[in-house]
Amino acid sequence: MDWTIIQNLLVTGILRGGLFALMAVGLALVFGVMNICHFAHGEYYVLGAYAAYFAYVTYGLNPLLAIIVAALLGFLAGAITERLLFFPLRKRSKGEWVMNAFLLTAGLSVVLQSVYRLVFGNRYYGITQYWDATIHIFGMTVAADRVMAFVIALLAIAGMWFFLQRTRTGRAIRAVSQDERGAMLVGIDLDRIQTLTFALGSMLAGLGGASLLSLSPAYPMAGNKPLIASWFVVTIAGLGNVQGAIIGGFIVGVFESVSYFYLGQGWQEVASLGLLILILLFKPTGLFGTEIKSVWEK
Amino acid sequence: MLEVSGLQASYDQLQVLWDVSLSVSEGEFVALIGSNGAGKTTTLRAISGVIKPQGGQVSFLGKPITNLAPYVVCQHGISFITEELNLFEGMTVHDNLLLGAYSCKDGKKVKALLVQVFELFPILHERQNQLAGTLSGGERRMLAIARGLMSEPRLLMVDEPSLGLAPMVVLSVFSALKALHERGVTLLLVEQNVNNTLQIADKAYVLEQGSVILQGPSAELLQNEYLRETYLGKR
Repeated sequence: MDWTIIQNLLVTGILRGGLFALMAVGLALVFGVMNICHFAHGEYYVLGAYAAYFAYVTYGLNPLLAIIVAALLGFLAGAITERLLFFPLRKRSKGEWVMNAFLLTAGLSVVLQSVYRLVFGNRYYGITQYWDATIHIFGMTVAADRVMAFVIALLAIAGMWFFLQRTRTGRAIRAVSQDERGAMLVGIDLDRIQTLTFALGSMLAGLGGASLLSLSPAYPMAGNKPLIASWFVVTIAGLGNVQGAIIGGFIVGVFESVSYFYLGQGWQEVASLGLLILILLFKPTGLFGTEIKSVWEK
Repeated sequence: MLEVSGLQASYDQLQVLWDVSLSVSEGEFVALIGSNGAGKTTTLRAISGVIKPQGGQVSFLGKPITNLAPYVVCQHGISFITEELNLFEGMTVHDNLLLGAYSCKDGKKVKALLVQVFELFPILHERQNQLAGTLSGGERRMLAIARGLMSEPRLLMVDEPSLGLAPMVVLSVFSALKALHERGVTLLLVEQNVNNTLQIADKAYVLEQGSVILQGPSAELLQNEYLRETYLGKR
């Protein structure tokens, strides 16, 4: 076993894994707290990418600021979407919430992609790089953009960790995911928490899209791959569990990087799906899924 | 303090409460008793906003609270300890208690409340870092009540705290409630355990098939013929 190869694979895997984890955390949060199978998650990734493009290229903001602006726009878009779509649905949906919510996100995805096409057209909005530099890790030369995206993802995840674990509102979000009635009875406004959660999920997706702009340009259907990747991680890790999603993201990142190296692109996807099938066969609740339904606690 | 008049409530098409009226004064210990299915839990749910009543009024401290959302009712000063407890199973005792004080943003005050609550329920202090889901039945009841106290409620409504508990544990829960009453907390207790309840409550309302059929000071009710026959099995 060539140590250099292992190092390379690990570095590539972990760098990718960070972004997988970022996307997966947003999705896990939405599912864990709101019980929504969110299939429009990728569209907020794209929104972040478009926003970062315009902030960086058209308005000339520096890369970090552009990415932050994109994330904030993602947050705002998420909050608006939740109020317009899921808030009324919650009032009206008698049974079949999961199905109704899922269908709503599927429709939302179609609408958003069409809107992007209408407004921006089909062309790719991309940049060559944010930062003109390379970084040396273990003898490998890695583009600064990739490393920065990873660092940003890590910071966002750490921030989310702190928020959920240590703050009053974060605690409230965890409470809502475990027992809605209990949350109501201690004075938590469920509607506000739901809006906040969806906004946070969209913010994280937007942050992902913005950070990776140089590696994956913005175009209407750019959200499909991140969506599938997020669902892949979340399903393997255990639906609705954020801590699991974080670890799962890194596992998938390294797994993909290793299988890509040894199997080539085509077979890599087969390997990934094979992994998914195996895990679901032997542990249908996912690697970290348990009986306790909670967005944070295992 | 709490005025309920003419409350009507249904679950879908099934009407459960027909005309429930009761009142709780500050510092009182009031019991709502009756057998299974009488509508006691429904009454508490309607007061706390968990369900919306079809008719009637509820007012608390002079303000109307009918039809308000549960979290608003909680902010008005009513804590509802449900029969299912609705604890946050995956979180520690400590975090559950912190959430009880959600409406309070003052960190120091919350810490002080925590100390008070641990004094009242020392077992919870011991089990502080344990997950709520791993506690015993009696401990869970204590946690639920303690969590309800963290919001410094003016009125504590407790639904069937003795259900499913061993007699010894029931006694400790009841004595905890009595201690709370002695400290000045106003209590509205729903119970099937008529005998024990009438021993410690000031006054009671007897609910049957969704209406109040008897009411009065506990001492009087204990002498009431109908009550004695139907609920205490005395002839």
